Amino acid sequence: MSLELVFQQALNGLSFGALLFILASGLSLVFGMMDVVNLAHGAFYMLGAYVALSVVQVTGSFWIAMLAAPLALALVGLVVEPLLLRRLRGRHLDQVLLTIGVSLVIVDLIGQLWGREVRSLSAPPGLDGSVGLIGGVYPVYRLFVIAFGVVLAAAMAVVYRRTRIGMLIRAGVEDAEMLGALGIDTNRLFASTFATGAALAGLAGVIAAPVFGVQPGMDTDPGLLYSLVVVVVGGLGTLSGAVAGSLLIGPADTFGKVLFQDVALAVIFAIVALVLLLKPTGLLGRIRIAR
Amino acid sequence: MRPLARWALVAVAAVALVTFPYWSAQWESTRFATTLLRDALILAIFALSLDLLVGRAGMPSLGHAAFFGAGGYAAGIASQRLGTDQLPVTLGAAAVVAALLALVIGVLVVRSEGIFFLMLTLALAQIVFAIAFQWTAVTGGSNGLSGVGRPMLATLDFSSPDLMYVLVSITFVAAALLVWGLARSPYGRALIGVRENERRMRALGYDTTRLRLSAFVVAGTIAGIAGALSAYSTRFVSAQDAGLGNSVRAFVTVLVGGAGTLAGPIAGSALVSFIERVVPSLLPVELRISEAILGLVFIAFVLFARQGMVGVGRSAWLRVRTR
Repeated sequence: MSLELVFQQALNGLSFGALLFILASGLSLVFGMMDVVNLAHGAFYMLGAYVALSVVQVTGSFWIAMLAAPLALALVGLVVEPLLLRRLRGRHLDQVLLTIGVSLVIVDLIGQLWGREVRSLSAPPGLDGSVGLIGGVYPVYRLFVIAFGVVLAAAMAVVYRRTRIGMLIRAGVEDAEMLGALGIDTNRLFASTFATGAALAGLAGVIAAPVFGVQPGMDTDPGLLYSLVVVVVGGLGTLSGAVAGSLLIGPADTFGKVLFQDVALAVIFAIVALVLLLKPTGLLGRIRIAR
Repeated sequence: MRPLARWALVAVAAVALVTFPYWSAQWESTRFATTLLRDALILAIFALSLDLLVGRAGMPSLGHAAFFGAGGYAAGIASQRLGTDQLPVTLGAAAVVAALLALVIGVLVVRSEGIFFLMLTLALAQIVFAIAFQWTAVTGGSNGLSGVGRPMLATLDFSSPDLMYVLVSITFVAAALLVWGLARSPYGRALIGVRENERRMRALGYDTTRLRLSAFVVAGTIAGIAGALSAYSTRFVSAQDAGLGNSVRAFVTVLVGGAGTLAGPIAGSALVSFIERVVPSLLPVELRISEAILGLVFIAFVLFARQGMVGVGRSAWLRVRTR
């Protein structure tokens, strides 16, 4: 590999990592607070992309879609949590199973409403070009994705550490039951956490659409599978875990595809299996997954 | 019922099931019914094997399709590479490959539990899927493996629709008897003990890790046989057979029917097959929402009837009897 190619692939890896962070942060947040691995996260991500598709069709603006899709998904989250998950409070495994059902419903309805063809969403005007970078040209949109990921991570870190909501989140991750005993309305807290997680999945759907396309199957790959990989490797339930996981998996997957081609997917999941076996809490996680 | 009468009833039911294409030959839709029943029975074998883990031993695997897929590929590749269509060879290859794969994955997963076990089985099965999907030279990659050999026993060719059905239904009866026998045996009781209270079982001197591993291998082997039957039926193996979607399908089947019972996975496969294959023909053509219906049914069972159809039936029966 030439040096230019290495540089380009490194940028690709970073932008993929940034996308993965946006995708996985919601899954991690929900798990941290509620001990629920939301297997509908990929379906939420897919729904975000399709909502964006329609919004862009109607309004012609990518930026409006970037607001509308997370909002739509937050609404979905606000329906799913109180209506379904809350009934199974404390039964974590059943809650996880429930999200499988939610995923089946959402994915099939998307196919029914939007059709089952491969669609595409182009980057907004201004970000759809390329710029000259060391030894070649590079798509501006990917640089935007990197910047967006960094800003989102920083914003989330500030919310986590400096605000009352962040304090509640951190306390909830530690012990949600105790939080309830201290007089916090955990119903509201869980509903808003789940809605935020769904909104983040929707946001990832919009931002990833110009890069990965919009098509059937995206709910599993990259949606659910990659977000699971990131949080499991990085450590479930913590912001730093999601960051570490994305920074590791993004470049690893990109270089894996260049170097190993045919077995790249297997390489990623082998990393997951290895981490799960050697350090079940993930690289930076503290919580072991509940029974 | 006296044991002898009960066995006679089981035997009659088994014979009726196996000979279905022959006594239904006059029906208008016998061809459709035979194919539907064949695929439902393959799903039932698959679900019965998963229930050994989910229902009996309390191991919620979301990667069981890896073994189903491995069995299908092994049968197909064995028939192509070894140049033989003989069932003992191809079905044997399916069982051995699935068993070995289950042993390897099992060693890695059996120490973990609950959601953790679920995620680990999902991740490892995904490696199997990735290999199937990308190793084009051996598996046909994303195009799938076509041209799977006919199932032959000496000179008897099972590839006609009726005989294919007979092969599948006989295997189903054998698998159901095996699972029934296992569940009643001291081994099956020990598995339930592991599910209910692993620590106590260890204190009683059971090697619980070994118990869980052996259950994983037995379940994987049976799933591999189901996968081989599917490969013979369609003469084709798709990478999706080993994918997450197929694992989810088996899991849904077990839960909807009733985990931890013999009738549950069978009833579940009947319902799932009905939703997948019959419901679409009842709906307008432009409405393709059978997966969504399956999802809704699954959600309803998880929320309101975690014991599945069998559990619901049982409590209804008890209510009627005590009245």
